[in-house]
Amino acid sequence: MRAPKLQLFVSAVILGALLVLGFRGAGPLPPLGPLLDPANGAWALARGAEFPRQAEAPIPGLTGPVQVLYDDRGVPHIFAANELDAWRAQGYVLARDRLFQLELQTRAAAGTLAELVGPRALPADLADRRRGFPWAAERAYGSLDSTSQFRLAALAYADGVNAFIGGLNRAALPLEYRLLNARPARWEPINSYYLFLQMAYTLAWVDPALTRLEAQVLVGREAADALFPITSPIQEPIQPNGQSAPRYDLTPVPPPGPPDSTALVALRQQRSVETFLGRESEWSSAELPSRPAAQPSSRRGSEPLGSNNWAVAPQRTAAGYALLAGDPHLDLSLPSIWYEIHLNVAGGPDVAGVTFAGSPGVIIGWNRDVAWSFTNTGADVRDLYREGVDDSIRPTRYRLDGEWKPLEVREESVRDREGRVLAIDTVRFTHRGPLVEVLGHWRSIRWTPFEAKSTGEEFLRLARARDHVEWLHGWKDFVGPAQNGIVADRTGTIAIRSTGRFPVRPDSGRGDLIRDGSTRASDWIGYLPIERYPFAENPPQGYLASANQQPVDPRVNGAYLGANWYSGWRALRLNQLLRADSALTPDAIRRMQTDHHSARVDRFVPFLVAAGASPSAPPEARSAAQLLESWHRRYARADTAALLFEAVMDELEPLVWDELVPPRDPRADTARGLGRPAVVPEEGVLLRLLADSTSAWWDRRETGPRERRDAVLAEALRRGWNRTVERYGRPGEGWRWDRVHHTNIWHLLRMPALSALALKADAGPGTLNPSPGSGIHGASWRMVVELGPAVRAWTIYPGGQSGNPASARYDDRIPRWLAGDLDSALFPARAEELPAHRVRARLTLLPAR
Amino acid sequence: MAALGLIALAAAFTLASWLGWWTIPLLGLIWGWLHPWIPIPERRAAEPPSRPAAEPSSRRATLTAALAGLLGWAIWLAIDTLAGGSGLGRLGPRLAGTMRQPLPLVLAVTLLFPALLAATAAAVGSVLAGLLRPGGPPAGAGSR
Repeated sequence: MRAPKLQLFVSAVILGALLVLGFRGAGPLPPLGPLLDPANGAWALARGAEFPRQAEAPIPGLTGPVQVLYDDRGVPHIFAANELDAWRAQGYVLARDRLFQLELQTRAAAGTLAELVGPRALPADLADRRRGFPWAAERAYGSLDSTSQFRLAALAYADGVNAFIGGLNRAALPLEYRLLNARPARWEPINSYYLFLQMAYTLAWVDPALTRLEAQVLVGREAADALFPITSPIQEPIQPNGQSAPRYDLTPVPPPGPPDSTALVALRQQRSVETFLGRESEWSSAELPSRPAAQPSSRRGSEPLGSNNWAVAPQRTAAGYALLAGDPHLDLSLPSIWYEIHLNVAGGPDVAGVTFAGSPGVIIGWNRDVAWSFTNTGADVRDLYREGVDDSIRPTRYRLDGEWKPLEVREESVRDREGRVLAIDTVRFTHRGPLVEVLGHWRSIRWTPFEAKSTGEEFLRLARARDHVEWLHGWKDFVGPAQNGIVADRTGTIAIRSTGRFPVRPDSGRGDLIRDGSTRASDWIGYLPIERYPFAENPPQGYLASANQQPVDPRVNGAYLGANWYSGWRALRLNQLLRADSALTPDAIRRMQTDHHSARVDRFVPFLVAAGASPSAPPEARSAAQLLESWHRRYARADTAALLFEAVMDELEPLVWDELVPPRDPRADTARGLGRPAVVPEEGVLLRLLADSTSAWWDRRETGPRERRDAVLAEALRRGWNRTVERYGRPGEGWRWDRVHHTNIWHLLRMPALSALALKADAGPGTLNPSPGSGIHGASWRMVVELGPAVRAWTIYPGGQSGNPASARYDDRIPRWLAGDLDSALFPARAEELPAHRVRARLTLLPAR
Repeated sequence: MAALGLIALAAAFTLASWLGWWTIPLLGLIWGWLHPWIPIPERRAAEPPSRPAAEPSSRRATLTAALAGLLGWAIWLAIDTLAGGSGLGRLGPRLAGTMRQPLPLVLAVTLLFPALLAATAAAVGSVLAGLLRPGGPPAGAGSR
């Protein structure tokens, strides 16, 4: 040792550096001290991975003890003396299992993500503010009176969440907070409202005007209307139309017309609105490998956010009891969007099922008398208006019926974690909704979820329903986004109603047009009366089914509900299976939920096979056609033809819709000399074309002679075959579906280490068990309920109850979900009825002193 | 005695970590202060009359602190592994994955971090004690 001062200096410098790393971290590294400390840091999460057998906790406001029994599936059964206490307990147990998710999801709607994850969320936060989410939430929540059930529930729920946060010890701080170097924020009751806004955004922030405009610019209005029709060519509606088979309205599609340059300005503006406010602004963490290439313009059997639900009347079930099934298809995530729970209130609701993290009550589930589920209606509930303003830069007034009306103006400040202002934006509102400036023009937006005041209250009412009548009544005022709510009760009644506000527009009534905002005459003139909602109860066919298809046959009810309906592939298959079995069992229903036979393939393969068998077809097309002909048309893991079929359909798209490829398309694939269409009609329209072998749409612009259908199909087969061989070698193991297509369940922060990726599933695009595109969507919950003397339910979701990656319950349900299994759900009427050997933990919640 | 000191210090680190990771450098500093640096020639000269023969050197104090820091946190991990079921086994790879590092490296960093903290704090404490405490080395000592 040379000198004490040198030793002191060197040691102090190293110590200082370590302390900086420990307290502050460096670059992307979070503070290492609190992260690595095994007593209280991330490693300590292993200690709290499973709940202690017995525990107690105080909650302010609780009027009496609440008993929570966790069963061996991690489901909390909450036994409370009154509903408020049940919601307090619900808030507590949700926070105990899903604290980070609670905060992240609501911040994603409130435009305050940057306060949790930092400046990288600024674009998403600004988009939230510009969309008017905080404006709508504050307005709606502020209008609730003190007796509002939703307000009381949200307050009670907040009591529970905040009691958990208040008692949170350092060792139990969720991993994500440690990685972000953040602390949980206090939970506000309005957050429950934000959650519903976020869900509405996921399901109903769409406007069919954009796709139609894209097409109109390229092929004229008449062709665009035909390619993006208001009615679906496949009619297998939710509200039975009295037919015993689906109807195909395969009328010829008008030929492509000349480009309509007059629509170009409107298109650019509409695109800018979507870019300014839409999903392009969504936040993604730096950890995320770019979100798998979405195909926003393509509808190739891959509509992601669809769902299935169906109910079977007693006369068609083996046991003679009504059966109900539901599987909402959403983004798959870890933790799951759903949390399974049972709320038992003495003398009140006794309800089980799934809830969102942040929502009091149960969203989809069952009680002692009824069971229910939802699918998204896909109604058109958002409109754009051209507005005139007094100042093109900083307007304060807008023109309405010849007068200047004041704009409502809000200053929105987006802050970072330290409270520093990252950006200030001025957001303006007309009487219709948020006003945005795009390319020098001002547009306002009207959207039904902005008009909801009590969203959430309906779900609380559903829990108390004693039969389908009470259930339908409790649900009637739901604003949106419109849902196909299906119900079955113990009397054997089944019913479905598409519920939510359906705007009634003036003149043509269509919502896929941009309207003149200078007059109130353009405003919605009301909402469809509930008597005209798509509805059915105990139909003669003995079952009801919805899979996001057009809800009502336009020949039965011509009211405009929306446009660009999802292809009816799942609806076709579902109805096919339900018609074929008149003695259904819960297990048969389970198999249907994981059915991976494709009605879509059934419709297209015969045309492809015929085209490939033509003597003029090239050899590769013949090989492809032979393989497709022998295919059983299921997307099973070991399938080798599914990959080829998808490649052929992908090749077919630009061949058929070459008129929809924009000139000088930047997405042009120079290797193949083909651009991709700007928009692609849903596949039901392609079915219309297949019925017309000489349609002008079959002609390819790039070639001289006029092609017909079979020549184009053969070319798609040839290209699909060559592409598949090129990428995966000769037909064989390399073509297995599960080597190419996977289910991917990403963690909320998109960190691969906390995600479940490259999972192998029997599922494909457009099948009842869906796995479209990049595999990030799918059945987020599967439920089968039998409404017998005692209600029995079987459930699963792809994830686990706990948000703690150290817990066995973090992802324990995924293997059974992949296998298509369901768990038998426990539904004890009293705490003593829960079998002791299935109780894993007891939590007693006590009034805080 | 040295082994006992190591065990006592490791136990102290284990317990103190309950309060927070920052107790590691604090205890290390105290440990170093209790084992002041003494220049070797002087210690040799002074040992028989004024210091016990077993008085550890500053270097030994630093190494003891490092080892005790490592052990202090290893004990936590061991307890959690034994008592916490397979939670640690599930967490380890995931935690390492979030840091985009292999698990052995993350484990090594987890154990080296307290070791380095304790060692450097002990070294600082030891030298400071040697310089500042009454009876410490005279100015200029050690500049051989």
